[in-house]
Amino acid sequence: MMMAAKAHHIAQAASSISIHDVSHSYGGRGGGQVMLALDRINLDVGDCEFHCLLGPSGCGKSTLLYLIGGFIPVQAGVIATAKGPVSGPGPDRSIVFQNFALFPWKTVKDNVLYGLKKAGFDAGEREKRAQDYIDLVHLTGFENAYPSQLSGGMQQRAAIARTLAVDPGILLMDEPFGALDAQTRRVMQEELRAIWRRSRKTVVFVTHDVHEAVFLADRISIMSARPGRIEHVIDVDLPKDRGEEILEDPRFIQFSERIWRLVREQAVAATRGAH
Amino acid sequence: MSDMAQARPLADAVKPGAPRQPWTISAKLVDTAVQVAVILALAAAWEFGARYGAINPFLLPPLSVVLERLWSDLISGVVPVDLGLTLYRALTGFLIGAALGITIGILMARSALVRWFFDPLISIGFPMPKIAFLPIFILWFDIYDTSKIIMVAFSCFYPIVSATYAGTSGLDKWPIWSARSFGARERDLLWEVYLPMAMPQILTGLQVALPVGMITTIVTEMLMGGRGIGGTMITAGRFADSVGVFAGILEIIILGFVVVKGLEMIRRRLLVWHPESQR
Ligand SMILES: Nc1ncnc2c1ncn2[C@@H]1O[C@H](COP(=O)(O)OP(=O)(O)O)[C@@H](O)[C@H]1O
Ligand SMILES: [Mg+2]
Repeated sequence: MMMAAKAHHIAQAASSISIHDVSHSYGGRGGGQVMLALDRINLDVGDCEFHCLLGPSGCGKSTLLYLIGGFIPVQAGVIATAKGPVSGPGPDRSIVFQNFALFPWKTVKDNVLYGLKKAGFDAGEREKRAQDYIDLVHLTGFENAYPSQLSGGMQQRAAIARTLAVDPGILLMDEPFGALDAQTRRVMQEELRAIWRRSRKTVVFVTHDVHEAVFLADRISIMSARPGRIEHVIDVDLPKDRGEEILEDPRFIQFSERIWRLVREQAVAATRGAH
Repeated sequence: MSDMAQARPLADAVKPGAPRQPWTISAKLVDTAVQVAVILALAAAWEFGARYGAINPFLLPPLSVVLERLWSDLISGVVPVDLGLTLYRALTGFLIGAALGITIGILMARSALVRWFFDPLISIGFPMPKIAFLPIFILWFDIYDTSKIIMVAFSCFYPIVSATYAGTSGLDKWPIWSARSFGARERDLLWEVYLPMAMPQILTGLQVALPVGMITTIVTEMLMGGRGIGGTMITAGRFADSVGVFAGILEIIILGFVVVKGLEMIRRRLLVWHPESQR
C-alpha cells in the first residue's frame, strides 16, 4: 500500500518534458553511412499537456519518443523531466510501442499485472486495476488469451491497457491506434481523451493522422521529413470537452484543414528533396 | 469493433465454411492408426519370420519368446532394477548437464569474458566423441555411478549450452524495453524476460541432448559392465543369450520412447503461449 501511494505521488508531481537541441543519427559505426534522423529538436511539453507529434513516416517520431523514454542514449542536446536529465527508461515515463511489445509468454491479464507489480501495487489492488483496464479497452473475456491468439488490434489494446494501468505521470504513445479499425479507433480516442482529462497526465502522442491529432491534442508539433525537425508548433484552439459532436463542428473542420495543409507542405518538400 | 471478434483459436466461431474441429481430430487419428499399423506389421514379420524358419531363431528369436523373457524378468525384479538404474543415471546426468549448459549458455550471451573463455572450449569439444573421455573419468572418479553420470552430463552439456547461447544472444529487444520501462532491473530481466524468451530454443537443446544422454548411458554401461540395461545386455551377449540381448533392445526402445515423449509433453506445457502450440 505504501508503494501504491508512492506511485500515485509520482503521477501527481510535475510532469513536464523539456527537449533542448536534441539531434540523433543512426549508423556510422564500423565506417558505415551516418544518417541524421533528428536535427536540433527544441520542444517543451508542459505539465498535463496533451502533445501530438505529427509528421510523415520516417521523420524520426519514434526515435524522438525512444529518446524521451530513455531507451536509446541522447547523443547531442538534453532531454529533462522534473526528475532531471533522462538517462534511461523508468516507470515515470510509460510507453505504448508502435509494435505493442507485449510479453508473448504472458496472458493478457499477466501482461497487465506485470507493470502493476513493478509499480508496487498490492495484490488486491493489482487484480482490480488489471480487470478495470482490460474492461476499458474492451478485452473482457480475453484475460487468459496469449498475444499470439489475438488479432493485431486486440494486441494493441492489451498494450494500451498494460501501460495505462500503471497510471504514469508521462505517457508516451507511438501510433497506438494504428492497428485498430476505424470505429474502435474512434472509441479509443474518446476514451484516451477522457482518461487524460480525469487523471491529469502529460501525454506525447505520435501519429500521422491529422484528425486524430486535432481531436486529441492541446498542441501539435508538425515535423519535417528526414532529417526530422520541428517545423511548426500549433495550439489547438478547440473546447477542452470534445465528444463525437466536435467532428462536425466547423471550427474542427477548418482547423484540421489548416493542419492538413501544413503537413502536406512537408510531404511535398520530402518528395521534392528525394529527387 | 470488428477486430474484437477475431481471436483465432478462442472464438468458437471458426471461419464459416472452414472444416470444423472433428475433421482435424480424425486426420490425427488416421495418422496414429497408420503408425501403429506399421509397428504391428513389423512385429508380426519379426514373429513369423523367426518362428517359421525364415531366420535362424538364435540370431533373431521370435518376438513372443523375447516378450516372455521380458515378462519373467519383470516379475523376478531384474528388469525394474536395470530400468531404474539406467533411468537414474541418464536423468541425473541429463539434469546436471542441463543446469550447467543453461547457466553457462546464458552467461556467455551476457558477458564477453565468459564467452571468451568457453567459446573455444565448446568449439573444440562439440564435434569430439565424448565417450573418449570415459577412461579419464574412470581414473578420476570411480567405476560405479559417479563416472557414468559425469560422462552423461558431459555429453548432454554441449547441445544444451550451444542452444541456450544461441537462444539468449539474439533476443528481440521489444519485450526487454517493455520490462525496463516498467522498472525492471538488469538482474530481474534474466528470470522475467531472457529465460522465458529463450525457452523454445533451450527446450530444443534439451530435446537434442536427451537421446544423446540415453545413448551415452547405455554405451557407458556396456563398456563398464555391472547392472543397468547396457551391462545386462553385454553379459547376455557374452553368454550367447540372444533372447536376453533382444529383451534389452526392447527395454531401450520402450524407455527411450517414454522419456522422449515425456519431454515433448513438458515442452507443450511450457510453450502454451507459443504459436507452435496453437496450430
Ligand atoms: N535502429 C535504426 N538504425 C538505423 N536507422 C534507423 C533505426 N531506427 C530508425 N532508423 C531510421 O531513422 C529514421 C527515423 O525513423 P523513425 O524514428 O522510426 O521514424 P518514424 O517513427 O517517424 O516513422 C528513418 O529513416 C529510419 O529508417
Ligand atoms: Mg514510427
